[in-house]
Amino acid sequence: MKGILRVAQAHLLTALREKITLFWFLIFPLFLLAILTLIFGNMGAEGEISFAIAVVNLETDTAGPVDFAGIIEGVFEQAGKPSEEGKEPLFVISSPASGEALEDFLTGEKKATRFGDRAAVIVIPEGFNQCLLLRVMGDGPSSGPDCSLMIYVNEGSAASGMATSIIDQILAGVERNILTSMGRFQEQQAIPTETLWIGSSGTEVLYVDFLLPGIVLMGFFVNGLFGVPGSILFARDKGVLRRYWVTPLTVTHYLAGFSVGHLMLCLVQFAILLLLGRFAFGATVTFCQPVSIFLLLLAAITFLAFGFFVASVAKTANTGMAIGNILNMPMMFLGGLFFPVAGLPLVLKAIVYVNPLTYLAKGLRVSLGTEVGTLSVSMIAVPLAWIAVCVAVASWRLSWDVER
Amino acid sequence: MTATNGITLRVTELKKYYGKIHAVDGVSFVIPSGSVFTILGPNGAGKTTTLEILEGIRVPDAGEIEVFGVRVKQIDREVKKRLGVLLQDGNFEPYLKVKEVVKLFASFFPAALSVEEVLRRVALQEKGSAYIRTLSGGQRQRLAVGVALVNDPDLIFLDEPTTGLDPQARRNMWSVITNLKEQRKTIILTTHYMEEAEALSDYVCIMDNGVIIAEGTPRELAARLGQETIIEFSAGSIDTEWLDQLSSFGKGVRKDGEIVYVETEDLVETMEQMLAWSREKRIPLKNMIVRQPNLEDVFLSLTGRKLRE
Repeated sequence: MKGILRVAQAHLLTALREKITLFWFLIFPLFLLAILTLIFGNMGAEGEISFAIAVVNLETDTAGPVDFAGIIEGVFEQAGKPSEEGKEPLFVISSPASGEALEDFLTGEKKATRFGDRAAVIVIPEGFNQCLLLRVMGDGPSSGPDCSLMIYVNEGSAASGMATSIIDQILAGVERNILTSMGRFQEQQAIPTETLWIGSSGTEVLYVDFLLPGIVLMGFFVNGLFGVPGSILFARDKGVLRRYWVTPLTVTHYLAGFSVGHLMLCLVQFAILLLLGRFAFGATVTFCQPVSIFLLLLAAITFLAFGFFVASVAKTANTGMAIGNILNMPMMFLGGLFFPVAGLPLVLKAIVYVNPLTYLAKGLRVSLGTEVGTLSVSMIAVPLAWIAVCVAVASWRLSWDVER
Repeated sequence: MTATNGITLRVTELKKYYGKIHAVDGVSFVIPSGSVFTILGPNGAGKTTTLEILEGIRVPDAGEIEVFGVRVKQIDREVKKRLGVLLQDGNFEPYLKVKEVVKLFASFFPAALSVEEVLRRVALQEKGSAYIRTLSGGQRQRLAVGVALVNDPDLIFLDEPTTGLDPQARRNMWSVITNLKEQRKTIILTTHYMEEAEALSDYVCIMDNGVIIAEGTPRELAARLGQETIIEFSAGSIDTEWLDQLSSFGKGVRKDGEIVYVETEDLVETMEQMLAWSREKRIPLKNMIVRQPNLEDVFLSLTGRKLRE
């Protein structure tokens, strides 16, 4: 027992003192956590995305009963102001310079849209008020050029597409208000809708809460896939293991110690990722649920077994690293660690279905409440099956440089 | 503590085959307690395989091993508790400290010396907190010896303990081995250095092609060459014809680099002939010495090769 614990301690100390190990086990997951959180962490938060647009009001007749053009212009101006909570406005509205002719301003804004500097340019045509009034009263033509708002967008710009969608929604709301105020639309007859924001406040799932379990699993995965075969094959190739085999330490004792050391390393890795995730990136998940703890342990053991498997099929430490690299990317990105993996082609889906990361990631997130779904037997059975296969292959093939 | 019959290790007809290759082909020897037993042999002679079987790394195909008075089929955990092994090609984790390595290996045995005592025995007290990767070759080898002694073993294997060391480090290692001899430890030594074998060994066996071809004390082995005397001199370039002439003066002649060795059983007669030949041919006999045969000469006469070839 004393020997097993000393082997575990030696494995842990060696891993923590080796710079390359530290980079892959701790720095890289943290780097990935930081990068992905910064890029995707604010997606969906209210008021955090803003679009540069221009509203060009060419209507000159404002003396009628209702200045529809002014109302629309006012709505967009309002949307261009920061909220009371200090959040970024939805739109950044550009206006003509003092003394600048509207036609020149419109030409400039269209050019800016073409170059991607504007998401959209909304043009309210001259005669818009009169035309719209007639239409609302039911006396005018059903459509006509003067009644149409023109929205110039850049076809190849994602921002244009998103801005158009939002502008359409705003205009629909304006139209409904106008019709309601003029008695042409009964509010109670409208289809009731309720907008629920995800990722803005209250009980929403933050992206970092979705990401952190994936990063933890990725850390365990890299730890097992590279750390385990790297350590074992290096120790075997360099004759470190030989020194053990001439003592009463058996291969079984060594394996037990190595495995304990590996799990301790995973624990250290998990603790650091959790603390930084919570205090540096604002994650709220705690991993305190028994199911989550069980799944974390299962993940660490699964990837430990995976490491033994790689060590058993590789002849040298370098070959082990090469095999690890071949398995690393497809398994990591097709395991749903960082993004959902729905809608993939059939071939890639096959990898998703046999990938233990898929089940562990899903199970862990469901147990933490950061993903919708229910826990299923497959979330435990598939990793267990992988452990059985890997241990069987490793028992058969892994050479320890000693005859038993 | 050693076996009560005064024999620490008795090996009988030990065999290890790898397909058609007979790595060890019926090796037998006896090692008295408290002695230094040296196995000599060229590369591929089978001495490493023999040692690996006795260290518990390999399992023999046939033969008997009696160690500490107990017959075993192979070296098991119980036997290993009383063994100390210095491997030729073993290593330590480079990111561990010296003290950590000693503690690690001490934990494998039911009883072990203290870390301080181990480091004192191999003069590494000041390096306890140093990382393995910062140690010199000599310091690493001393640590390896310390680790081999951590359980205060009764039987110690030293597989080429001074290979790759500078002369000073080699002398230090000799001192460590001499101390072990004084403690009446039983030691199995392999080496490529004849002077090392001669200085440290009580018994020597010479292996070649998986079998023992000679065995005895260094003096006994040297005596196998009879009453021969060796005359050595430095000749530079010398014709084959002249070597043939020299060989007629004694029992035999050989050349290794610039050095010519003339073997004779009649030193005075051979010397007179050689001096006359030197004057006639105008070949100076530079750095000439006369000596008794050593283990290198015995090894050469038995195997036809030098030990370090």
